[in-house]
Amino acid sequence: MDTLIGIINYVVFFAITAGTYGILALGLNIQWGYTGLFNIGIAGFYALGAYATALVSGPPPSAWDGRIFGGFELPFLAGLLAAIVVCGIVAFLIGIPTLRLRSDYLAIATIGIAETIRLVLKNESWLTNGVWGLQQIPSPFYDPIHGGVKAFLGNHPDLPGWIHSLFSKAYNWFYLFLVLAILFVLYLIIERLVHSPWGRVLKAIREDEDAVAMSGKNTFSFKLQAFVLGAMIMGIGGGLYAYYARFISPSSFKPLYGTFLVWVMLILGGSGNNKGAILGSFVVWGIWAGTDFLTEYFPFSATQAASLRVIIIGVLLQVILLWRPQGLLQRERKPSKTL
Amino acid sequence: MSLLRVEEVTSGYGEMEVLHGVSIEATSGEIVSIIGPNGAGKSTLMKTIFGLLHPTGGTIVFKGNDITGFNPDRIVRQGMAYVPQVENIFPSLTVHENLEMGAFIRRDDFRGRTEEIYELFPILKDRRKQRVGKMSGGEQQMVAMGRALMLDPQLLLLDEPSAALAPNLVDMIFSRIIAINRTGVAILIVEQNAKQSLRLADQGYVLAGGRKRFADTGQNLLANEEVGKLYLGG
Amino acid sequence: MDTLARIPQLLVYGVISGSILSLGGIGISLTYSILGFANFAHGDIMALGAYITLGVLTLLGGWGLTNTNFGPLSFGIGFILALVISMGLTAAAVVLIDRVLFKRLRRTGSIILMMSSIGVALGLRNILQFFWGPQPHYYVQGIQLATQIPALGIRVKPDQIFIVGTAVLLVILLHGFLQYTKIGKAMRATADNMDLSRVTGINTDRVILWTWVIGAALATAAGALAGVENKFITPELGWQMLLSIFASVVLGGLGNIYGAILGGMVIGISEEVSTAFVSTGYKPAIAFIIMILMLLVKPTGLLGKRR
Repeated sequence: MDTLIGIINYVVFFAITAGTYGILALGLNIQWGYTGLFNIGIAGFYALGAYATALVSGPPPSAWDGRIFGGFELPFLAGLLAAIVVCGIVAFLIGIPTLRLRSDYLAIATIGIAETIRLVLKNESWLTNGVWGLQQIPSPFYDPIHGGVKAFLGNHPDLPGWIHSLFSKAYNWFYLFLVLAILFVLYLIIERLVHSPWGRVLKAIREDEDAVAMSGKNTFSFKLQAFVLGAMIMGIGGGLYAYYARFISPSSFKPLYGTFLVWVMLILGGSGNNKGAILGSFVVWGIWAGTDFLTEYFPFSATQAASLRVIIIGVLLQVILLWRPQGLLQRERKPSKTL
Repeated sequence: MSLLRVEEVTSGYGEMEVLHGVSIEATSGEIVSIIGPNGAGKSTLMKTIFGLLHPTGGTIVFKGNDITGFNPDRIVRQGMAYVPQVENIFPSLTVHENLEMGAFIRRDDFRGRTEEIYELFPILKDRRKQRVGKMSGGEQQMVAMGRALMLDPQLLLLDEPSAALAPNLVDMIFSRIIAINRTGVAILIVEQNAKQSLRLADQGYVLAGGRKRFADTGQNLLANEEVGKLYLGG
Repeated sequence: MDTLARIPQLLVYGVISGSILSLGGIGISLTYSILGFANFAHGDIMALGAYITLGVLTLLGGWGLTNTNFGPLSFGIGFILALVISMGLTAAAVVLIDRVLFKRLRRTGSIILMMSSIGVALGLRNILQFFWGPQPHYYVQGIQLATQIPALGIRVKPDQIFIVGTAVLLVILLHGFLQYTKIGKAMRATADNMDLSRVTGINTDRVILWTWVIGAALATAAGALAGVENKFITPELGWQMLLSIFASVVLGGLGNIYGAILGGMVIGISEEVSTAFVSTGYKPAIAFIIMILMLLVKPTGLLGKRR
């Protein structure tokens, strides 16, 4: 029974992370899947969102902190809003010089952006507390829920042990519900957007930007909108991560790994397909978690196991690119193409 | 002796068929001109013969060998050379280096051949160390043709050689084409400049809508009233 | 120390760093000019080369070939031998990756190739980490004494002169190869126009092979020289330099080999000189800013498109 509870609790934890990645994948899907923007700087927006949330919702600087900024202890929605606004502004500012560039240059530029963001987060201690990170980020409704459950369990000590195990992690259930709810809402909103005239322009830009430009539309403006919107969604993902992990530091956002994982998720799931983006994140996260178990059975050191897991995902990517580059769920085809 | 025989070839781009069963023939040492309006399939025919496009039907026989479906690198070894209409030289290489590249698959000493090319195109002789990208359109065209001749081909395919040239250079290019032909090389020309190319043609074909409309000697086609009205601008 | 007085020494560091960035950048421009995509795995190929050099060096050391050093240099014939062997081994590995992976993806377009190369980058890095671990590995032992040149206000170590000298030598060799050998000219021709190359009868498969081999050899040299300069290497070596290398290449003109050299020097010097005014932690950001400025003003770079 205990193992079953353990498994269930693990699945909840798994789903929270997969769901968060799903949100990132949705954001990337708008940029790449629908508009064709090759953004390798996902980790940058993810980190920005997390930090914005942490600084807005977290406690004020303590005596030990190197920072002098932030800690407004504002509630959950304010934190997410901060993430959205910060990511949106930064995406807008960097989009202006870079979105006119060709894919190869845009890719290089976005890596540079993510790196610069990471360096700023690491070096500007007055703002971010540098390498020591931000602690004690309050999870939304943690006290009421956790306290309530504790009280309930305390009043009913006669309940079987497995119920205690199950309910002790009750907050995670709530958080999972929260993440999935936000994921679902975002999915609905994005689906609406991509099937609107605005969305059709984006898809046309991806197919043949010159043709769209010649028909009189300001393609740059559309690309910027897609880029900013995608970044804001990634920021939400970052915020949700911050609220869950309750501690963030620059090392939580290792360069390229998170970005790479989300890319594999989107490509495997199917770029240009929102269901695919979500499916991909759960599948790839499942494979990633699976490799964690797998490597336990072999006499590898911790770093070796970590490396092996990345290599496996790397090989997975190549396999997909070679044999099914369109992903599991294909891009929705325009009716005219099937005629 | 029949050098090239194209029989009922159909070809095109993807699902779009451009040539609907074209047959032409070229004999050793001949100049064959193919004329016709835009979109008739002239360039498509040439690319199909050289293997840049694979025919969907029909056969192509060169020097008695069936080369249908061969890739360009095999065809070039059979003794056929091709000069594309645009981007037909290596701009960052010198004249001499362009010719050297033309002789890439030759294993022998081809310096003699290089000198022969310079005899054909005397203007290039003094410019051999010049970067071709900086040269005029006419000079580039000559380098392009010279490059193709480095392998001693029996058949030279020229895709609209006068297309990008100023009118005074057109005559010069055509005179070079005659000179090349005199060395024994058969030439297949696709041209917009119909009158001039028919003038030097031993054999001419009029292509329109992906089909062969007229076939006769160059002189006869020039004299043909119908051809004149439809394709030679009256 | 007075900021202005530090600049000559920083210029020296810049030239050294620039030499390494240039060697790395040439490989990227070469690949781009002939194969048409930006190879994100190049930094990790540099790291691979550095580690293979170390591995061969250790092997040779076991056979007693690394005992004597060249005069004031930190290393001797063993290192040179290891470097040359490593160039061959790294080139073989890269050609294998091309055969298995990139060759099959060539038809699908440059974006898929870039995506694949990012996967290869992470894969290579983690293979290195798997076998050697994340901790630093020492390249050369001991502390080297620097020679003072008071007239210029700088100090230079013999190893550093070797680094710059090697870079210059390799560039001269490459130039000679491209200008005077048949396959070198064929590479330049293919960079101009791959379709015309095929039509002319040039063996483009062989050209592509040589492109990877030369790129990998230069990357190996860059990685090993970085090891000599930094005294140790980690699997992150390539990634750490990749942004600066890309900045150099973009600055000089993506696809232009001489641009990569010029760009490498400019970026190297800019990064080092910037440390007089800004925290060292921001060095890659300096490269990035210069690159963005270039892209805004003249996207084709200082020396324009591929030569």
